[in-house]
Amino acid sequence: MASQVITITSGKGGVGKTTATANLGIALAQRGRRVVCLDADIGLRNLDVVMGLENRIVYDLVDVIEQRAHLRQALIQDKRLPELFLLPAAQTREKTAINETQMRALCAQLKTEFDFILVDSPAGIEHGFKNALAPADQVLVVVTPEVSSVRDADRIIGLVEATEKPAPQLILNRMQPTLIKRGEMLDIADVLEILAIELIGIVPEDETIITSANRGQPAVLLDHSAAGAAFIRIARRLLGEQVPFGALEEPSLLARLANFFRR
Amino acid sequence: MSTITFKGTRDGLVVTLGENSWTDTISELATQLQRPNAQSFFRGARVLLETGSRALDGLQLEELSALFAQYNMTLAAVAGEGSPPILLDAMRQAPPPPESIPLELAHATPPNPPLPTAPVLLVQRTVRSGQRVDFAGAVIVIGDVNPGAVVAASEDVIVWGKLRGVVHAGAPSNDEAMVGALILAPTQLRIGRYIARAADDKRPRNLPAEVARVREGRIVVEPWSGA
Ligand SMILES: Nc1ncnc2c1ncn2[C@@H]1O[C@H](COP(=O)(O)OP(=O)(O)OP(=O)(O)O)[C@@H](O)[C@H]1O
Ligand SMILES: [Mg+2]
Repeated sequence: MASQVITITSGKGGVGKTTATANLGIALAQRGRRVVCLDADIGLRNLDVVMGLENRIVYDLVDVIEQRAHLRQALIQDKRLPELFLLPAAQTREKTAINETQMRALCAQLKTEFDFILVDSPAGIEHGFKNALAPADQVLVVVTPEVSSVRDADRIIGLVEATEKPAPQLILNRMQPTLIKRGEMLDIADVLEILAIELIGIVPEDETIITSANRGQPAVLLDHSAAGAAFIRIARRLLGEQVPFGALEEPSLLARLANFFRR
Repeated sequence: MSTITFKGTRDGLVVTLGENSWTDTISELATQLQRPNAQSFFRGARVLLETGSRALDGLQLEELSALFAQYNMTLAAVAGEGSPPILLDAMRQAPPPPESIPLELAHATPPNPPLPTAPVLLVQRTVRSGQRVDFAGAVIVIGDVNPGAVVAASEDVIVWGKLRGVVHAGAPSNDEAMVGALILAPTQLRIGRYIARAADDKRPRNLPAEVARVREGRIVVEPWSGA
């Protein structure tokens, strides 16, 4: 398979872009792919913290782009998975420190060495988002089942559709089956009906996400994490496997989804 | 250097826009159309616009359409990569003449008014949050109008899908316009000078198609009988 740049974005902040990037990066590397997670959230970097690699940063993305460091010097190899690397963001710079052309050139260079380049986009639709989108071959939009998150995801999808890139795919994060049953949360069909793009995975609300992020051990590395298992399923779908959807979806709902996409 | 190309075909004049910025494109086009020998060549032409990878919004289409109109040219169709809107000229029938015209209007009307042929903008995609379609004429959307999106037209608005954003038909003051949708659940609906907000109750899905118009000074919604 040709190497791919996958940008993970959302519009709204705090919905799980960084969580998804770290977990998908690990899950893909566990499956033998060479992966680099690229933190494009300049000024608010935290992918390194979630991956547990913060204390090893010497150079960052902006150092590479401004040629103070070679790419090789800035890439941090994961201590658990030798196939996994992190290219950290600069903490003390602005998003305007880099531009779209530089991002494309950087990713073209990374493509010669990696199977997957996962770009963790900043929130918003401004400069930082555009930098993260520019090199993407594929876009994953993270959404939570809240009206404001769906609204922002829709905005992002519209912006991606205005480029010549393929239609983005959707990760539905922080689903809470009990709230859906009580009608207190948008359900999967509500979200898909508005966004009308392909669903690549549903990740449940899971406190292991928070505890594991704090320890720099993403949930995919744990044995009994429902969210970790969900990210593994998404990684397998990215690798082209047909993976049935998880327990969150009742058969009736699946039928509705199938119907919906057949329109 | 010129980036816009013109090519005469049996169906009309194919105009292909280059990759320049929008303002450069418009000013270059204006210069090209102004050239004396070009004027006789282009006059009266039906234009088929090729936008390439560029996505044009309603305002940009209007700007182009107005520019072509200065040279008696009509923008007949728009094509681009991806899922482009297509503009159809004069698709609508002229409405029958009104039976009685209010006095002050009758005086204002020239003896032989040109038949109104409102242009129709066909939007073949979902209009998403943050996107806006603005058009002098009628708008037909084949797709949904999502929450956070705006569709404004000087004539009717028809949505072959779910209408959940903000819609303004007959903008700014044509109270005769109507809004029709397979599922009519807009955040806000305006017709001419009238305005209606979404009902707060969550209505059941899969209602029959509905149409909204102004009757006796307020916006009413009724089943779409096809009339
Ligand atoms: N499935 C989940 N279950 C529980 N908590 C979650 C889940 N996904 C994300 N979170 C928590 O939500 C918070 C925000 O997540 P994250 O940092 O990944 O979002 P983000 O989209 O990258 O945010 P930003 O826009 O600030 O970059 C974190 O505290 C994270 O642990
Ligand atoms: Mg983040």
